[in-house]
Amino acid sequence: MLTVGIDVGSAAVKVAVLRHAVAPETAALEVERYRRRPAASVVTHALDAALARAGARTEDVAYIATTGEGDLAPRRHGHFYGMTSHARGALLLEPRARGVLDCGALHARAIRIDARGRVLGYRMTSQCASGSGQFVENIARYLGVALEDVGRLSLGSDSAEPVSSICAVLAETDVINMVARGVPAPAILRGIHRSIAGRLSKLLRLAGVESPIVVTGGMAADEGLIGALRDQVATGKLGLEIVAPERAVFAGALGAALWGAHRAARVQGDSRKEMLHVHG
Amino acid sequence: MRAFLGVDLGSTTTKAVLLDEKGGILGRGLTNTRANFETACAVARAEALADARFGLLAEPARSGARRAYHRAERGRRLEHLRARTLLLADDDARLQVAASRLFEALAKLASAEDGAVSFRDAVAEAAATAAEAVATAAGVPYERLMSALERALVADEADPTALDPDAVLDEIGVPAGERVPVDVAAQSGTGYGRHRLPFAPGEIRSEILCHGLGASHAFPGTRTVLDIGGQDTKAIQLDERGLVTSFQMNDRCAAGCGRYLGYVAEELGVGLPDLAPLALSAHCPSRINSTCTVFAGAEIRERLALGERREDVVAGLHRAIVLRALGLLARAGGVHSPLTFSGGVARNEAVVRSLRDELSRHYRDVAVNVSTDSIFNGAVGAALFALRETAAC
Repeated sequence: MLTVGIDVGSAAVKVAVLRHAVAPETAALEVERYRRRPAASVVTHALDAALARAGARTEDVAYIATTGEGDLAPRRHGHFYGMTSHARGALLLEPRARGVLDCGALHARAIRIDARGRVLGYRMTSQCASGSGQFVENIARYLGVALEDVGRLSLGSDSAEPVSSICAVLAETDVINMVARGVPAPAILRGIHRSIAGRLSKLLRLAGVESPIVVTGGMAADEGLIGALRDQVATGKLGLEIVAPERAVFAGALGAALWGAHRAARVQGDSRKEMLHVHG
Repeated sequence: MRAFLGVDLGSTTTKAVLLDEKGGILGRGLTNTRANFETACAVARAEALADARFGLLAEPARSGARRAYHRAERGRRLEHLRARTLLLADDDARLQVAASRLFEALAKLASAEDGAVSFRDAVAEAAATAAEAVATAAGVPYERLMSALERALVADEADPTALDPDAVLDEIGVPAGERVPVDVAAQSGTGYGRHRLPFAPGEIRSEILCHGLGASHAFPGTRTVLDIGGQDTKAIQLDERGLVTSFQMNDRCAAGCGRYLGYVAEELGVGLPDLAPLALSAHCPSRINSTCTVFAGAEIRERLALGERREDVVAGLHRAIVLRALGLLARAGGVHSPLTFSGGVARNEAVVRSLRDELSRHYRDVAVNVSTDSIFNGAVGAALFALRETAAC
């Protein structure tokens, strides 16, 4: 059986195709950023690309599950709530996980989960984009640093320049002034990572998340942020273990594909019982 | 001629004005602040001095000199920018080709006589329309070309050299006898970056006091001042003598400041000067739910995807700024008539109209005054302090 998970985020669309035999196997992964294109066309494009990579057609797929802002997605069978998907995906990536820190382009969420991936509690940033992925992207653009180099540069810096502004937009001015003072880009990035990690560790504390914590979402690929986060929560009282799996950006899509498989299996079972409780 | 200099070093733009002994404006200078505060101060000051020198000439020499200065300045900076961009691209032959072609497309900027748009904005806007085609033709990524240009712009703005007004007067043939020298008798500075101005400590003034004084000077009897700048918003209450009684300031968050409009303009792919006309053409402004600038950017995309009209969304964003300002005014003690609206955002007609609408809805009979020199309000206040100090001696 094949299932697909589509995670429609605020910066990119992530698609995971899973093949379910004894254990679920990843058949294809696809991530596509919007770049000012309409969401629906990006979703279609990413879905087709993922299916092609898996060597499958739409009609071969037992269940197409969406999550995030996936209500717009065509060809879907059902939609799952973002947090549920991230919890399930995080468990697939790290079976010991008891916490999920989903760091996306606009929001961050700290989720407490149990061994079966049930959501026990959560906290999320809401009012503003301070410390979000978009924030790092803005800064990188200003510094003329490619997004994929941000983490490496930050980790390689011996010093961290303190950032005074918490606003994602106004921090730009701060950075301009730092550049003018001759502060090297790596120290600026490290300072920014430190300030974001501070906000994230507060979120983890408030949600009462237990260890180990899987970081999911686009920011999980930023090793500079992961390093700064470990500096703050791995040591001291908190003593939390931070896991940043390679496929972390696909956690939501993988989780949705898994939930989709679960629902598809129930529907198949139910169809024998004349489709009694399809959506139960 | 004795003149009094006021410099308002804002986070986005630096303003300089020269006043005569009666407090009338002789000359104005305006430049982007960017990174180098001392340079921004020097450039704005030099511009204000040149403007004052030309302003003291009789027509038609006055307009002729201003046009010639503007043209020469644009031409000089464009050449600098071109040289710097090519230097930044010297490790990539294709990028070099793209950069040279881009500057061929930008050459028309040198003859533009419209001084309302800053050099940076004029270049950025012209480049945004030309760069895509140029980059594709030369086979280089659009981002690389724009990044080289952006870095060259930053370097250009750190260049403190300014044109000599006398050279321009020589060029257009104004005889020495008709030229009036301007000498700065006293100066004072204010603004976000005031502590880093190359001024003596006694010459640095509080932003709130300067804005209060500037508003009272432009519109005597002003009781409330709303100043919306690039990165902060101030609400100031004055008593009947023009003394500051209370104020509130938001400088922690970009929502409701000029930068908010700059950000959404980028998000929409619209030039900042085109935003207000677009908003004014709306019939039914959207209700924007996000406070955060970045979230508003995402909300715009959603609303447009759902088929809302661009002009309605843009009008909604203008209204959001006003609603946020009203919140700040309420915290500062309300709105008292007459109100003076100043700062760079006061030049945006859609914000002004929305402010009048909302004030008439929430308060009774509030007169709203907006000066054409609204962006210079803080600098005028600073110059008035310099003038007063001198008069007191």
